[in-house]
Amino acid sequence: MATTDLINILDAVEVPILVLRGDFTVSWFNKAGADMFGLSPSDIGSALRDISALAGLPRLEQQCSQVITSGVESRADFRDGDKWFVVRIFPYKPGDRQVTGTVLTFTNVTAFRSSIDQAIYERESTKAILNAVAEPLVVLSADQRIQSGNRAFYTMLGVSRDETQGLSFYELGNGAFELARLRTQLTEMLADNRTFQPVEVDHVVTVKGKRTFILDAHPLSFPGHSERRVLVTFQDITVRKQAEAAKDLRSEEELRRSEAFLAKGQRLSLTGSFSWKVATDEITWSEQLYRIFEFDQSVPVTLERMGTRVHPDDIPMLNDMIERARAAVSDFEYGHRLLMPDQSVKFLHLTAHGVRDNQGRLEYIGAVQDVTQRRSSEEALAKARSELAKVARITSLGVLTASIAHEVNQPLSGIITNSNTCLRMLSADPPNVEGARETARRTIRDGNRASDVITRLRTLYSKKDLSPESMDLNEATREVTSLSLSELHSKRVILRHELADDLPPVIGDRVQLQQVILNLLRNAADAMNGVEDRPRELLIRTECDEGDRVRLSVKDAGVGFTAQAADKLFEAFFTTKRDGMGIGLSISRSIIEAHRGRLWATANDGPGATFAFSIPCRRESHTDAETRARQIL
Amino acid sequence: MQSDREGSAPERPLVSVVDDDESVRESLPDLLREFGFATRAFSSAEEFLASDCVGQTRCLILDVAMPGMTGPELQQELIRRRQAIPAIFITASRDKSVRPRLLGQGAVECLFKPFSDTDLLDALNIALRAS
Repeated sequence: MATTDLINILDAVEVPILVLRGDFTVSWFNKAGADMFGLSPSDIGSALRDISALAGLPRLEQQCSQVITSGVESRADFRDGDKWFVVRIFPYKPGDRQVTGTVLTFTNVTAFRSSIDQAIYERESTKAILNAVAEPLVVLSADQRIQSGNRAFYTMLGVSRDETQGLSFYELGNGAFELARLRTQLTEMLADNRTFQPVEVDHVVTVKGKRTFILDAHPLSFPGHSERRVLVTFQDITVRKQAEAAKDLRSEEELRRSEAFLAKGQRLSLTGSFSWKVATDEITWSEQLYRIFEFDQSVPVTLERMGTRVHPDDIPMLNDMIERARAAVSDFEYGHRLLMPDQSVKFLHLTAHGVRDNQGRLEYIGAVQDVTQRRSSEEALAKARSELAKVARITSLGVLTASIAHEVNQPLSGIITNSNTCLRMLSADPPNVEGARETARRTIRDGNRASDVITRLRTLYSKKDLSPESMDLNEATREVTSLSLSELHSKRVILRHELADDLPPVIGDRVQLQQVILNLLRNAADAMNGVEDRPRELLIRTECDEGDRVRLSVKDAGVGFTAQAADKLFEAFFTTKRDGMGIGLSISRSIIEAHRGRLWATANDGPGATFAFSIPCRRESHTDAETRARQIL
Repeated sequence: MQSDREGSAPERPLVSVVDDDESVRESLPDLLREFGFATRAFSSAEEFLASDCVGQTRCLILDVAMPGMTGPELQQELIRRRQAIPAIFITASRDKSVRPRLLGQGAVECLFKPFSDTDLLDALNIALRAS
């Protein structure tokens, strides 16, 4: 049936070969077959099932008969000890005739089989690892279709492996991955291993709702495989993004709030802020500054445009300031005026701070306050104060009128009485000439007395302008007390003087200081109005005070004042009197302070209070002091 | 000379002047003597009360405002002592409300300084008639 050559060749093949007849008896075997199954030439014709080594293939007969029937090759796996074989069963067909038997070849696949086992094991391990990774991972094929993913990947998208296998990556997650940046990068990576910059993808529809991921990709390539794949990883940053968004929102809100706060502050304080980059003359203004200048915010500010608002008289000063600011870094502060289109004038106060940026360029940052209102308030206040002083003076004058009348009426009364007496003496029979002469002399004296009163009044009230002069405080005091005497008497006040003999002269406005003394006397008298249980004693005293000063004090035995009232005594419109205006002490203090002096009140050890002032006396050269006095008054 | 006249006419009614103003104390007694009265002048109410003239004085000419005891207070004090004396008040004040108040308290008259001699004489006549 075979040539010797063919047999020799087949015996040289190390693959065992068995030829079986249709009745499953051994028809032929090669040398490797004889070795493997322990066969000898005598075994030809013996039954297949008698070959003990083939006991591991119980279905071999059945398979063989199928091959004979079908004429189609079949396979079986066969294990012999620790060796694995693949059994190939071919139909045996002598010439064109029917299949009469089978040819079995046994290919040793032990080494191959173990490498496959190893590969399977490795694959399963890798799969387990990947499935244990919480981060979704997916492998895409070269045409960016889903190859396979880990469990986290499928879980995330709520899909199964089977339904996504081979789907385009861009169909997943509700199309969220359809981003040019992502597609381009993946394509480039697959094409020529280009590196991938992570891409943030929003609104990925997952089982947990819409999420945000950072996608990264790593190329996968296998030696000997031309196909490239990529591993795509998904990092869920939804929570972080939400936190950041909340923080952004918060800081945005905070920023908005602080801006609003600043704008409100600027508006309320009438203060605008600016920056001026000197090199480029680039000027930035706050809203409030536009408002102050009454400029339209849409038009950029330039120095020229500012110049159109600056008061013409102040332009040289502004130019000078700009030149100096350009020349060197400095801090500057100055006031200037604006002349508005409606011809109104605004007073501005500007302060600026010069800084150099990291490139050495000079920039000024500053604030501009509209002080117009404050200025006019100050002017109004000064005016009100002087009017108030005038009112106080007139009020005192009004009160004084009665006592002035009293003072004048006393000598007038004497004059008239004396004149009447004189006439009667002359009309008597015989005329009492001596008596008449005496009464006439008294008339003249009383006339002079009245004249003196008028002179004192003129001294006290005729002066219109403030005039600091060197003066004797004792004399000024006596003038006031002599004019107040009747008023004090009518209030049953017992006035005592303790005027220092050696009192140096003071520089001051006589009328103003007398106003203060008068005010203190009247307050003292008023304070004793209700006092019945003790003498209504009033002591006015002058003395030298420490530090070349002269002190005048007025001590009463009146109701005194409480600790609460002590703080307010000198406030305008504070009064304890029912009919008082409460401006006397306030004005008195202003006057004394204008004389560089101090006015204060202390409670007495006994009843009542002492009000005192202390002013510098004239120890310096006359001209110096007068010059200074003129400056302060 | 003054004491001679007082001494020579002891029957003349005594008019006492109480005023802290010296010019009044000097001028008024002369006029009163011209009117024919005996007169004494005091600078304060206290001085008058301490003198021996309280019982003899037929009429008081009183200044309203004086340090210490005032004119009206002196009048009230005399009433309290049951030694009331008709009183003519004189005042340098311009406050017209003083007069009705004093008249309401029993004053014979209230004259505003400077006053005329006839006004004073009229008041004195009323006062002496009353006493």
